[in-house]
Amino acid sequence: MAKYFAKRIGMAIVTIFLVTCLTFLLMNAVPGSPWLSEKTPSEATIAALNAKYGLDKPVIVQLGMYLKNLLRGDFGVSLKMQRNREVLSIILEMFPVSAKVGAIALVWAVLVGVPLGCLAAFKRGKLTDSILRVICTLGISTPSFVVASILLVTLAGGIASLKIFPTIFDASAGWRSYVLPCFALGFYPMCYTARQTRSAMLDSLNQEYIKTARAKGLKNGKIIFKHALRNALIPVITYLGPQVAFTLCGGFVVESVFSIPGLGRYFVQSIQNRDYPVIMGTTIFLASFIILMNVVVDLLYKLADPRINLTKGGE
Amino acid sequence: MSKEKKMKRCPVSLQPDVESMLDWNSLTAADFEPATQDEKEDFIPERASVSYWKDAWRRLKQNVVAMVALGVIIFLFLFAFVGPFLIPYGYDQFNSGAENLYPFHYSLEDQIRVEEEIAARTESEVMDVDAMIAKAQEEAAANGEELSAKDIAIIRAQARASSNSAAAEDAETDPAAIRKELGIKAKLFGYSRDELERKAAGEHVFPHIFGTDMYGRDILVRVMYGARVSMAVGIFAALLVLVIGAVYGSISGYFGGKVDAVMQRIVEIIYSVPEMLVVLLIATALKPILTEYVNSGSGPLKSFVNTLGPNLISLFIAFGMLYWVTMSRIIRGQVLQLKQQEYVTAAKALGASGGRIIRRHLLPNCIGQIVVTTCLQIPSAIFLESFLSYLGVGVSAPLPSLGSMATDALSGMYTYTYRLIIPAIVLSVMILAFNLFGDGLRDALDPKLKK
Repeated sequence: MAKYFAKRIGMAIVTIFLVTCLTFLLMNAVPGSPWLSEKTPSEATIAALNAKYGLDKPVIVQLGMYLKNLLRGDFGVSLKMQRNREVLSIILEMFPVSAKVGAIALVWAVLVGVPLGCLAAFKRGKLTDSILRVICTLGISTPSFVVASILLVTLAGGIASLKIFPTIFDASAGWRSYVLPCFALGFYPMCYTARQTRSAMLDSLNQEYIKTARAKGLKNGKIIFKHALRNALIPVITYLGPQVAFTLCGGFVVESVFSIPGLGRYFVQSIQNRDYPVIMGTTIFLASFIILMNVVVDLLYKLADPRINLTKGGE
Repeated sequence: MSKEKKMKRCPVSLQPDVESMLDWNSLTAADFEPATQDEKEDFIPERASVSYWKDAWRRLKQNVVAMVALGVIIFLFLFAFVGPFLIPYGYDQFNSGAENLYPFHYSLEDQIRVEEEIAARTESEVMDVDAMIAKAQEEAAANGEELSAKDIAIIRAQARASSNSAAAEDAETDPAAIRKELGIKAKLFGYSRDELERKAAGEHVFPHIFGTDMYGRDILVRVMYGARVSMAVGIFAALLVLVIGAVYGSISGYFGGKVDAVMQRIVEIIYSVPEMLVVLLIATALKPILTEYVNSGSGPLKSFVNTLGPNLISLFIAFGMLYWVTMSRIIRGQVLQLKQQEYVTAAKALGASGGRIIRRHLLPNCIGQIVVTTCLQIPSAIFLESFLSYLGVGVSAPLPSLGSMATDALSGMYTYTYRLIIPAIVLSVMILAFNLFGDGLRDALDPKLKK
């Protein structure tokens, strides 16, 4: 267990390192520079700027410098979008906004998705099952921007009598701002969770111990929630790991549609603006977060089901 | 086989009954005659042998949902690849005078009625259209000329423009309200005024079935091209993933040991890389690189890159770099099982090389898994393409993509909702159909999975 833990952490560090290098090299390979904007500065200014931010040195040296600073927790400063502001402080300002929306989205996705999956499995082959299956397949087939757009044109002003929710996100305006983004962000995970739960539940409902439980005369509710669901949740947890991280740090699209001042939208904007330190910082931050969540889930997984032997590859 | 030869057996004897076997020794020459045709036909099994694919197809046919999905896929395929030939508009053709058309129109008479009503209400001094035309005809006749249909249209347009500007000043003369009062109903398909007049003149005018966008580009054609881009991206990306994943997975699984260990570490690393993030990054970074590469000169590879468009290529590269992992894991798992089979040992004993065993014996035996995984990869590629196009780093303009059409429509979302809804629905239906068909295919090809 300890050995596995160490190995997993080691792999995570290697992965973060590789993502950092890949991002850095990709960013440097892009022609054009962050100084090119509406008014092009003179060559002397550009040279001075390059020297100031260390952009005149060879790429490898720059990479080394960047990694060294990174170890000290220094993500550099923004070059363009918020000139000279620390990238870390930008991230720390944006991330909580994304995290709040993402967390709400994920909570409703799980709280609705898991019971729906159980219901579908229990009513297998009946009308309820078919309807849920169509809804869930539709849900995993609909990109989040489509969901978001449909919400916008129905509930946020498209139909005059139904304008219940604001179009533009405003954290100070209370819960109404959160409804649509959280719904749009959570719809896909909800449907996916329901599908996963359904198939895992079908698996565990066929097991012998369920028959035993039935033979004992247990009630359906108890069989489902006490016996079947506990085992069925394992594949669901596996999926949720990466999804937690991804949802928390940004439905890029949902944040753009609703103008949420979160990390996902900022990342997309920084790419469009070629603000290298911001791109690097955001990528490394998000990637580390996602990778870390994967490790945590793997360990939880092991704790949830001692039968799983992770050291021997789970084929 | 005379009866008297048969000895009477004791009913409880434990000796085996050999009497009937002795009869085998008394075969006559007639027993060795060749079989007649009837007898031969009797031996042919009643049921023809069913091949793997036939069997799968039979199961698939029983799955109504999968068959409907297949029908939808075929329809979308025709829609995307044949449709544009049937419609006389191009995806980047600006139809001047036909900007911002809705997917419905009001007939010419109704439009004139509404204008007359507006004119009457505003009591403006705009001259009656017919009177203007009559006057113009008189003038033309005085000059010895005849007034063409086009001239009449121009006069009408002028009259309309002046009445429109008058109407704009007065909120009471809202055309929508007047239409409602007069009980005028909209008719299907979009036509501009000019096109209606041409049509009335007997000319054949193709309608804008889904209306047009702000530049007068026909939305139906753009949706067709967008669907074409999506499908092409989905299928090519899936094939790319298939090739890389199959090669990598089978090598890793077949050779095992240290090779497998190293290859699986690489897979694990790629597996934990956040895909969306990196794809977004690659797509953004590669686009300018490839654009510069294309602009730096000419050559067969460069013109190839240019025709496909830098964006599409970077999309494929991103896909090729990251998405093969699932496929390779599935194939590796299959190969690990299959390589224990006797026929692999037999092939090895006959001296077949590793490559030959993989190609001839292992891969064909996991074809079911490969087909299903490839098929389910298509919707995820379409999903990703639309996502990138939506964020503006996907397919480059002027080539339309369903994702970028949706972004463009966001600005006029409330007035021109159909521009957002139509591409969104086509996209969702397409992904849904591929998903459902993939699910059905999995059930059909791997009955073990379907409990």
